[in-house]
Amino acid sequence: MDMNEIKEIFFQECEEQLAELESGLLKLNDGDRDPETVNAVFRAVHSIKGGAGAFGLDDLVSFAHVFETTLDCVRSGKLEPGQDVLKVMLKSADVLADLVSASRDGGSVDESRTRGLVKELEALANGELPSASGHEAPKPAAKAASAAPQEETPKPTDESGFQPIPFSFDGFDDEEPVFEGSIYEVTFKPRRELYSKGNEAALLLRDLSRIGEMSIACDMDELPALDKMDPEASYFSWKISLKTNKGEDDIRTVFEFAEWDCDLEVKLAEEASTDEELPMIPVPFDLSILDDASAAEEEDKAVEPSAVEETAAAAVSAAKVATGIVKAADAAARVAEKKDAASSAAAAAQNNAAAAAAAAGQTIRVDLDRVDRLINLVGELVINQAMLSQSVIENDTNGTSSINMGLEELQQLTREIQDSVMAIRAQPVKPVFQRMSRIVREVADMVGKQIRLVTEGENTEVDKTVIDKLAEPLTHMIRNAVDHGIETPEKREAAGKNPEGTVKLSAKHRSGRILIELQDDGAGINRERVRQKAIDNDLIAADANLSDDEIDNLIFMPGFSTADKISDISGRGVGMDVVKRSIQALGGRISISSRPGHGSTFTMSLPLTLAVLDGMVVTVAGQTLVVPLTAIVETLQPEASAIHSFGANQRLISIRNSFCPLVDVGRILNFRAIQANPVDGVALLVESEGGGQRALMVDAIQGQRQVVIKSLEANYTHVPGIAAATILGDGRVALILDVDAVVAASRGQSLKPEMALKPEMSLAATG
Amino acid sequence: MAAKKAGPGSLKLSAVLDLNEASVLHGKLMSMRGSDLVIDASGVERVGVQCAQVLVAGVMAWKEDKKSFLVEKASDAFQKTMQLIGIDTDNLIAKEI
Amino acid sequence: MKKKVLTVDDSRTIRNMLLVTLNNAGFETIQAEDGVEGLEVLEDANPDVIVTDINMPRLDGFGFIEGVRRNEKYRAVPILVLTTESDQEKKNRARQAGATGWIVKPFDPAKLIDAIERVTA
Repeated sequence: MDMNEIKEIFFQECEEQLAELESGLLKLNDGDRDPETVNAVFRAVHSIKGGAGAFGLDDLVSFAHVFETTLDCVRSGKLEPGQDVLKVMLKSADVLADLVSASRDGGSVDESRTRGLVKELEALANGELPSASGHEAPKPAAKAASAAPQEETPKPTDESGFQPIPFSFDGFDDEEPVFEGSIYEVTFKPRRELYSKGNEAALLLRDLSRIGEMSIACDMDELPALDKMDPEASYFSWKISLKTNKGEDDIRTVFEFAEWDCDLEVKLAEEASTDEELPMIPVPFDLSILDDASAAEEEDKAVEPSAVEETAAAAVSAAKVATGIVKAADAAARVAEKKDAASSAAAAAQNNAAAAAAAAGQTIRVDLDRVDRLINLVGELVINQAMLSQSVIENDTNGTSSINMGLEELQQLTREIQDSVMAIRAQPVKPVFQRMSRIVREVADMVGKQIRLVTEGENTEVDKTVIDKLAEPLTHMIRNAVDHGIETPEKREAAGKNPEGTVKLSAKHRSGRILIELQDDGAGINRERVRQKAIDNDLIAADANLSDDEIDNLIFMPGFSTADKISDISGRGVGMDVVKRSIQALGGRISISSRPGHGSTFTMSLPLTLAVLDGMVVTVAGQTLVVPLTAIVETLQPEASAIHSFGANQRLISIRNSFCPLVDVGRILNFRAIQANPVDGVALLVESEGGGQRALMVDAIQGQRQVVIKSLEANYTHVPGIAAATILGDGRVALILDVDAVVAASRGQSLKPEMALKPEMSLAATG
Repeated sequence: MAAKKAGPGSLKLSAVLDLNEASVLHGKLMSMRGSDLVIDASGVERVGVQCAQVLVAGVMAWKEDKKSFLVEKASDAFQKTMQLIGIDTDNLIAKEI
Repeated sequence: MKKKVLTVDDSRTIRNMLLVTLNNAGFETIQAEDGVEGLEVLEDANPDVIVTDINMPRLDGFGFIEGVRRNEKYRAVPILVLTTESDQEKKNRARQAGATGWIVKPFDPAKLIDAIERVTA
């Protein structure tokens, strides 16, 4: 593994932490005060900061640090996470997400927004309430946002600034003047705690010996008699004379981990000679004092170097510690080397530990390419198995045989493998849903509305491709709902509603598909306006007689936009027709139902996977087509008496006392020029997204089977009315019918020819 | 200690003379008082100061008892660490003080 | 003999960085994802030194350190705290819990190794 791979892992982890962060903040927003929620939120930001620091992503680190500081105030109870505070936090989470993306993909972030939030976060941390006005934070916040490039030892930027200080006392090493061969006298008296915390005086002395030439004297005066002693207490102390060209600070750095648990004195030797009689006094840890002292010492030295050396030498001999100069670096190195080889039992224990660690993790991460390759192979296996079955059946004139039984088992097994493999790709819709809450916040902010997003069933699982492709249409719909669906607070209040609007996003499984609903409690579809607009835009005839549902569904027609003015948010000429097309491209359906004054509900029904489909194999004008089983309500053999013609070439079929438009699939797809006689064929009763039913006429039903979907777009080009292709057991390519498109096309005949196939596109793909 | 006459005892030091070992070593020495003692330090890989304290206290005790306390076959690690912390390996007394 | 390091950190990024850094430096590395797991694997890991994060779910670094120090067999193992917390209060709490030393993130591989060398023989 190299750093790039780790970086990739870091960004993956960022995504998870960002999701964690947002869901935690939303929980807090809903009044959750569980300390673990606050902790999780804090950890998420903390973790991002930690990783970002490791990769030198300074902008990310700076912002995360400020954010973390404010979150810490919440964690410690200094800051009450009220609505106002959480609003800032949620925005900050968004900016953090932007910074993560920018760090990963290059690109830039809105710096003024970042600066503004840094200011707000700092104000919160300083105990100021969020204010809408351009209140000046005590320090220019921009400073933290655009922190200076990270140095080895970053300096504090301001009082609340970022100060990671690797190892050192406060970023002090750099300024420390270098002494040439000075002699220091060090007295070191460990306390019991030093040892109990895992430090070891012998190791500290070893490290000390490495920075210069050391002579040492062990003071054993405090050691009691053997029977009186506490084996774990600390009795020894040392006087060390160290000749080094390093500074006092380097000496102290050796004792960095131990400074709390020992008495330590570091003096230049000439001081030692004058202060010799004084009792041991721990050197105070005010670094500015040290700074002054060493600077002064350097001055002295610069003036009279030889004098200093003489004094130092005298001091050493006076202290009578200059014995047994230890070339300790060598010694210590050898000590380290001497550590003997481990027993094989230890190695085994290591393996156990690894196994235990592995068992603790419930998931593994697999490269998506590998899963896709597997899915593809399984798809081929399914086709191959079907072809094998078919040829066995064709060649097996004896009826049953053990081969047939074996094949059945194979079929079942193949199916199970396929299901299991598909399940690998299944993911909860949660990440997409979470992204939506940001959209709601941002758009609501922009248009000055108060809106809360409620999500339900976010753990519902669906194929990853579906999830990935869901984000865009969903984003668009959410924007629409916020921009057009929900009214302004004033209007809502006037209508006796809660000024805060609610957008509800839910997901659930229903009969082998995933159902996603987007519901708003806004004003609902203004049918008069929609109708008028459709007429104005020449989408419907002025006298067209449409049901409420049909009017509502007009918004999905191409070139339809209800907004009076194209707004920044949901305008840009992208209409609901685009949304509908993306959903259809996923093999899904979308419909709307609306209650004036109470809001609208968009319902999307999507396949759980894009790889396989349960279909009914039918024949239309000599071609084999597959109709998705989920679309079919029932099949029936039309009787001549049930067929009613009206208009030029419109026909209805009466089913149990109701009438249903008859759609000749062969005609719609331009497979034939003249309508077939319904009595010779079979009618497939399908439900279209508007809720209305249509009877699709096909010539014959061949059977039902699961087919592996092969994208037509990827292999050929998009064909209207056709969703995809598949390979049947006999090796033939069959097209999978896009039922909604066909129904829409048939409606188009009565409204406007929206979907009429151009002849040159119609059959080229059937191969 | 009762000056009962006994043959010289011997004690092989553990490889790791750390915090945990200090009490163990202390207990062993306490139980071996009254006889001459030969310490085998050949297998020592790591010496912590607390074990060094116990050993030095042992030297004092044996001296008091007028028995001999001898360190034999000191490993490199043992010698180096003792030297590093200012203890003479031959007789386990502080050097030069 | 390779020195064995037990690392305890909930961040996958940091775990990987530690792993790479430590393995490159010739250490044997055992990893746990939080304090609870850290204490669970302690016996099998038999580490020469422990590197732990502070902010972790289930059992944080403070609790983990206390747990190690209460363990008869492993109470003397040096523990380095790996954390972005640079403020004195956190360091002090870690020390009170029994930490041997600390490494401030973002860690520099050389300094991580140096810190480990400092507290191990």
